[in-house]
Amino acid sequence: MNILKWVSNFFNPPKEQKMDLGRRNVIAAGVAGLAGGLLAKVNPLDRGRTYNPGLIRPPGSLSEEEFLEKCIRCGECMKVCPTNVIQPTMLEAGMEGLWSPILKQELAYCEYKCNMCTQVCPTDAIKKMTLEEKQKVKIGLAYVDRSRCLPYAYARPCQVCYEQCPLTEKAIRLEDVSATTASGSKVTVKQPHVNAELCIGCGICQNKCPVSDQAAIRVTSVGETRNFRNQFLHADRYSG
Amino acid sequence: MAKSKTTHTVLLRRLIQTVFLAIFFYLFYQLAYHPDNQTVGPTGLFFNLDPLIMLTVWFGGHAVASALLLSFITLISALIFGRWFCGWVCPFGALNNLFTSFRSGKRKDKLKEASYTPGQKTKYYIVVAVLAGSLFGINMAGWLDPFSFLYRSFATAVFPAVNAMFQGIFDWFYNVNPIGMKAISEPVYRLMRGYFLTLAQPHYYWGMLFGLLFGIIIAMNFFRARFWCRYICPLGGLLGIVGKNSAIRLNVDAEKCKNCMECVVECQGGAEPQSNETWKASECVYCWNCHSVCPTKAITFEFKAPGVRS
Repeated sequence: MNILKWVSNFFNPPKEQKMDLGRRNVIAAGVAGLAGGLLAKVNPLDRGRTYNPGLIRPPGSLSEEEFLEKCIRCGECMKVCPTNVIQPTMLEAGMEGLWSPILKQELAYCEYKCNMCTQVCPTDAIKKMTLEEKQKVKIGLAYVDRSRCLPYAYARPCQVCYEQCPLTEKAIRLEDVSATTASGSKVTVKQPHVNAELCIGCGICQNKCPVSDQAAIRVTSVGETRNFRNQFLHADRYSG
Repeated sequence: MAKSKTTHTVLLRRLIQTVFLAIFFYLFYQLAYHPDNQTVGPTGLFFNLDPLIMLTVWFGGHAVASALLLSFITLISALIFGRWFCGWVCPFGALNNLFTSFRSGKRKDKLKEASYTPGQKTKYYIVVAVLAGSLFGINMAGWLDPFSFLYRSFATAVFPAVNAMFQGIFDWFYNVNPIGMKAISEPVYRLMRGYFLTLAQPHYYWGMLFGLLFGIIIAMNFFRARFWCRYICPLGGLLGIVGKNSAIRLNVDAEKCKNCMECVVECQGGAEPQSNETWKASECVYCWNCHSVCPTKAITFEFKAPGVRS
C-alpha cells in the first residue's frame, strides 16, 4: 500500500467520503452564533444603576461578564450546596444568564463554614478558595427594613439577626433605644444596625428573621466583592 | 435468518459504558457536604474530559482551568478513533443507548428509525454556532452540552424527585404500618438515608422544567435511535468534525455482503454502515453493533485512511 496516498487521504479524503455540511449552512450557523454572542452584550445588567439587586452569585464568582464567559450551567454548585440556597435562574440574570446559579436567600442562607461550591466548579467561574478566603468574600449586604423590624416598627424585643450572625465580630450592632409600644408604655428595645464593613451577605439573618413572607432584614447584591462598581456608595458620584 | 451471537467487542463496550455510567452516578451521589471532611474528589471528571467546554471557556474567557486540559485526550483520540467517546465513555450516550434498546416494533419501522437522515447535520451547526458565540464572551455550551444537561437534570429534577418518592413510600409505611411492615421498612429507610437519600428534601425552582426537558430527550429515543446523540449533541458534533477522517474505519466486504440491512437496523448513530461508500465516520459512534449483527461477518473495522482499499 502506498503510504503517501494513505497520508494524503487522511488529510484530504476522496469526495464521496468527505463530510458535506454545505458552506452556506456553516457560515449561517457561525453568523447566528456570533449574533447571539453580540446580542448577549446588549443587556445593561452590568451597567450603572441597573444592577439586579436580587442577583446574588455564589461566593467567589467572577464579575458578571467573566462569569457568563465561563459558567456552563452544569448544576454542580446547586447539587453540592448543603443549605440548598443555590438555585437555577430563569430571568434574574437576563436571557444570557439562563439556568446559571443564584442564591435565593428567602429559601436558605450561605453556610459560613462551607466552601463546597468554590471547590466543585469545573470551569472556575466560581474561583477555588480556602475556607478562610471564602469567609472574607462579600456576596451582598444586609439592610434592615425598619417598617417591618420588630424593635423599630412595633417596639417589641427581638435580636434574632444579631444572634444568628456567624461572624465573631458580629456584623450587626444592637443599640438600646427607648420606644413607645402600641399600648403607650415606654420600653427599651435593642435596634439592629448592619455594619457594612463586616457584613458578607450570607443571608442567615434574613432566613432566621421571625417576620414572615418578606423578612425585616434582607440581603441585596450591593457591596459584592466581585463587582467594584456595585458598591453602596458609587465612587464616581460620592467622595465625602 | 438466524440472529448471530453478540460479539465480545459489543459485550466489552456495554461493560465499559456501564462502568462509566456507574462512575458518573458515584461522583454525583458522593458530591455532598460533609461537615468533617470538605475536600471533594474528581467530581468534575466528565466536564474535564469535555473539549467543547474547554474550547468555549478558552474562546470566551481566555483562561482555562488546568483540569480542563484533560479534554485534549478526548480531542486527540477522536482524530484517530473517531467518535468512540460517544459510544464507549459518555454517560448520557449510555443512557440514550439503553433507552434506544427498549424500542419495540416491526423491523421495517426499526429500519426507518435507525437510518440516516439529513437532519443529523443539525448538531454540527449547533457546535459551529456555540463556538462562534463564545468568541464574544457568551458561553452557550452549557445549555446543550451533554454533561451539563445530564448533571443539571439529575441535580435539579431527577434526584430530588427520586428522593421525594422514597420519602413518600417510607412515610406511608411508617404512618399506615400495613401488617406490621414498619418493622422492616424502618431499618431499610435508615440504611438508605445514610447512603442514598438526603436528610432534607432538595428543592429547586423550575425543577419540573428540567425534568420535562430530560424526559423529552429520553422519550425521543423511541422515535429515533439515540436521538440526542444524532441530532442535538454539540459535543458529538465537535468530535464528529474532528474525527471525520479517523484512521479506524469501517470496511464492508462486498463479496460477503447479502444486503440484509441488519447492520443499518442496529446502527446507533445512523452512519449507514451497509457499504464503504455510504458509511459516515462522523456519525459512527464505534459501537460495533454492525460488526456484531452481520450474519456473514462482512463488516470489520480496520486501520486505514479514508478512500484507501485494503
